[in-house]
Amino acid sequence: MMDSRTIKEKAFLITIFILTLLGVTPVFYVLASVFYKGIEAFARRGLGILIKINGGILPALVGSFVLSILSTIIGVVLAFVAGLFVAEFPNSWVSKATRVASRSLLEVPTVLLGMLVYIILVVPTGHFSLLAGALALALVMLPYVMVHVEQALESVPQLYKEAGYSIGMSRAQVLFGVSVGIAKRGIASGVLMGFAKAMGETAPLLFTIGAARSSLPCSILSPGDAVPLMIFQYAQMPQEYYHDLAWAGSLVLVIAFLVVFFVVRRLVKEVRY
Amino acid sequence: MDHAIIVEKLNVWIRGNHVLKDIDLKVPQGSVTAIMGPSGSGKSTLLRSINRLVELVPGTRVKGKVMVFGRDIYSEDPYRVRKDVTMVSQTPNPFPHMSIYDNVAIGPKIHKLVKSKKELDKLVRWALEKAMLWDEVKDRLHEPPTVLSGGQQQRLCLARALALKPKILMLDEPTANIDPVNSKKIEEAIKALVRDEGITVIFVTHTPAQAVRVSDFIAFIYNGRIVEYGPSRELALNPTHELTEKFLRGEIG
Repeated sequence: MMDSRTIKEKAFLITIFILTLLGVTPVFYVLASVFYKGIEAFARRGLGILIKINGGILPALVGSFVLSILSTIIGVVLAFVAGLFVAEFPNSWVSKATRVASRSLLEVPTVLLGMLVYIILVVPTGHFSLLAGALALALVMLPYVMVHVEQALESVPQLYKEAGYSIGMSRAQVLFGVSVGIAKRGIASGVLMGFAKAMGETAPLLFTIGAARSSLPCSILSPGDAVPLMIFQYAQMPQEYYHDLAWAGSLVLVIAFLVVFFVVRRLVKEVRY
Repeated sequence: MDHAIIVEKLNVWIRGNHVLKDIDLKVPQGSVTAIMGPSGSGKSTLLRSINRLVELVPGTRVKGKVMVFGRDIYSEDPYRVRKDVTMVSQTPNPFPHMSIYDNVAIGPKIHKLVKSKKELDKLVRWALEKAMLWDEVKDRLHEPPTVLSGGQQQRLCLARALALKPKILMLDEPTANIDPVNSKKIEEAIKALVRDEGITVIFVTHTPAQAVRVSDFIAFIYNGRIVEYGPSRELALNPTHELTEKFLRGEIG
């Protein structure tokens, strides 16, 4: 005969298990369906759609690749510097303002960020461009990365900074040699989160890159395409062929994500203390 | 006798609290001085005023003079002061993202004390030997410091401070968080450093026994003032001040 405490504990564990299962099921469902439908699409249309410009997904792949690099450079550099500043001078009014601004930016619907770039870059230059798209995505990732950089640096115990000072390190040497070194894993996760968030975004691209899908972009100033945007628009087409392209694009996007995540997490080791 | 450190009328306020009051202290070169006193009496603050670490706390005001080998440190570059007057903290804090070797090598590297890798290797070995740690780590210099025990980590911090070839070494309750065996090694290392290298040592301790074992002079500090200062044995056996006597009997602290 079990006593009531044991029964309660069992019931509790079972409840947690079921809730966990409910939580992770969608993730596996999405992954499984993307892989299943994606492979099916490639089987039906051939791997050739990867490199086909007209009626294939090459322009979207190239566009996404360029966007990911460009937006990461713009967004991460800005976010890293801002995060460093806020963590290092937490009480200055600039930091306080930056913190409020970045937290607010997190809540802004990303389509509005696209419209902002439309007004400040697309309208003055007179055309859509990958650069405009990258800028919009950089704005999406900026607050995420900044918050992570800031928190990673703040979590470095004072103890280690003091150790740096007590052997005569300058403030910059402590910041870059000690704090950033100890927080590198946290900073890398932040960059990854921002990257993933930006790469999955469709809305900021609606008003910025121009969905040029029948030719390759010749420079970052010309219009282009991106995989999420292509998926969104092809999924609404009536023809089955375009649905297959959308699934194929989804599969490539998911695989690219997994590879980037795996590589970065392997390269940047956690610092234990 | 030459003095390594001369403190004159030192007053320190931290966020409005008057932590150190009119401190006067003369530390002879090549001696060991123990700063002893109850918790919150200002021992650590005094230590941290001698390498200007105290300034890192926002809202700190320092008045008075601290001379190190004749130089007024408050009119010098603080980073340079901290290179010559290095400190080991109470809690072992080796840099967790660097190897054991790099923990010791970082100081000489940033202050450009060595010209070649070979010289650096030699200096790292010297510092680790002086900290009585070399034999225990020589085969795992490139592992992170987290593989070491707390006491070994504390000796690594000592080696890190020594690699700068400081003129003055300060230790803030260096054995407060570690076991007796490691404490003994640190005490021996301190004595050997003074004997062989002529380094001036000043350390904070809670325990009168340790102060007597290791130091030549004891400064007893209470409520931000130096109550008594004198040769260790004399002060411990025949304290002239009532407060010192009470502290030694374990009635305050």
